[in-house]
Amino acid sequence: MTERKSPTAVLREGPRALSDDQVREIEDSALAEVLHVDIDDVIEYVHKDLKSLPDFTTLYRKYLKQRWDVYDLDFSQDQVDWREKMTEEERQSFIAVASGFHHGERQVEIELPVFMIGASEECKLHIAAQIEDEARHTVFFDRFYREVVGLEGDDIMAVLDASFPWVSETFVAPFGLLAYQADELRLHPYDERARVRYGTTYFLWIEGVLALSVMKVTLSYARWRGFLPAYYTGFTATCRDESRHVQGGMRYLQDAVRKDPTMINEIHDTLRTILAVSGVVSRRVYYEPLGWTDDEVRVLFFQQLRRKLNDVGIGLSPDLEDLLQKVQPVLAGG
Amino acid sequence: MSDFFSPSWASSVRAALTAGPSEQVRAGKLQEYWDFFDLVKSIYPASWALGCRDLPGLSSAAYLFVRWGGGSVTECRIIGPDEPLSATYVLGMDYQDWRALHEGYDPQRTVMYRKILLEEGNLLEFFKAIYFFVESLAVIGSVPGVYPDTLLLAGHVRA
Repeated sequence: MTERKSPTAVLREGPRALSDDQVREIEDSALAEVLHVDIDDVIEYVHKDLKSLPDFTTLYRKYLKQRWDVYDLDFSQDQVDWREKMTEEERQSFIAVASGFHHGERQVEIELPVFMIGASEECKLHIAAQIEDEARHTVFFDRFYREVVGLEGDDIMAVLDASFPWVSETFVAPFGLLAYQADELRLHPYDERARVRYGTTYFLWIEGVLALSVMKVTLSYARWRGFLPAYYTGFTATCRDESRHVQGGMRYLQDAVRKDPTMINEIHDTLRTILAVSGVVSRRVYYEPLGWTDDEVRVLFFQQLRRKLNDVGIGLSPDLEDLLQKVQPVLAGG
Repeated sequence: MSDFFSPSWASSVRAALTAGPSEQVRAGKLQEYWDFFDLVKSIYPASWALGCRDLPGLSSAAYLFVRWGGGSVTECRIIGPDEPLSATYVLGMDYQDWRALHEGYDPQRTVMYRKILLEEGNLLEFFKAIYFFVESLAVIGSVPGVYPDTLLLAGHVRA
């Protein structure tokens, strides 16, 4: 972590092409080497293949090469940084943002299995790998909250209980919706329209927009300040995992619309609900100690949504374009 | 104090929903969140049938029926197992989860952890008012009531 550019510098840079060396570094780095990978490059890497999306078998083979052991991380330096180097304002802002992820990873882990039932055999391999990824990410945050933040609990749920007071009330919109859509799939696992609506919430909104934006905020802070090396390593490796999830999810949505163009209506209807409730905040999160302003976070959200839709070739209806202009999505976690 | 899921308890629920979240609850969240809540409440045209499964003493679910209109509750009553059920949204929750909600379990997690589930109704439309629903669920959970297994337990201890 030698480079110390500002956390928000990438907002002004815009999309850029990665060199072959940068791609190789991201794809082939073992866990310990991930510390030296730039998070902005990893987020750029997420988008690299969106225009020509890889198939599910390719994504599964990538998973086999890129999976990492969450118990290999050593949080001892992170403990020192958290207790002695970070200010109280930085700690409070960080935990307010990270707690959404603590709970979000658990939610995307447990809501995913039902999607596998109606999937193709190749997609089932990819989803099985993704479930394992999400379980590992859940353990990553459990370890971070226990070993660095200092929350206590007899089991995973007890630590989740302890961090829940930092979770915003608006968290229920995307994650409650996902839970109910998962229940819809539990009852009707082969309903393709329900699968597309579920995929829009899970893969496009939660993973493609919310998760990547929140990752960027905390990881660019850690890199900028040179703090929390195990968090940076584990969460950047998580972001590399997310690249496979987002690409697989966008592949699914793109295939569904190509097979039946009327499926675009399911994507639009789902986005209509999500955008209708995404402009509301119940508590103020102070991003400034992490090097961000509210407006910059908002720009980050819009950039992430626009890039996914543009790269995959999913257009928006005029009313959704209008809604997108009006609402001001803010960080809800994920 | 009224028995949980009794007609008099439903009357207390109606009064509590009409009054809305307490000042203490409102003070804990931003005004713009409550502005959105109040806006939804003022135009909400739907009804809920909130089911309680496994209610001691009943062989099938009973429902708390709540109808909204003109910014207030226009109907709030218990629908028994043998009555016809018609509501915009039908939801169901186990008795123990109703009790947990009353004892302070978080209403947001009650939805997110699928303790209460949508059984009938348009899911995407329902979620456009999700903050209104969650805050209303919290209000319902806060209404005092006598829970049947509390009586059974008390009777057992006395015996």
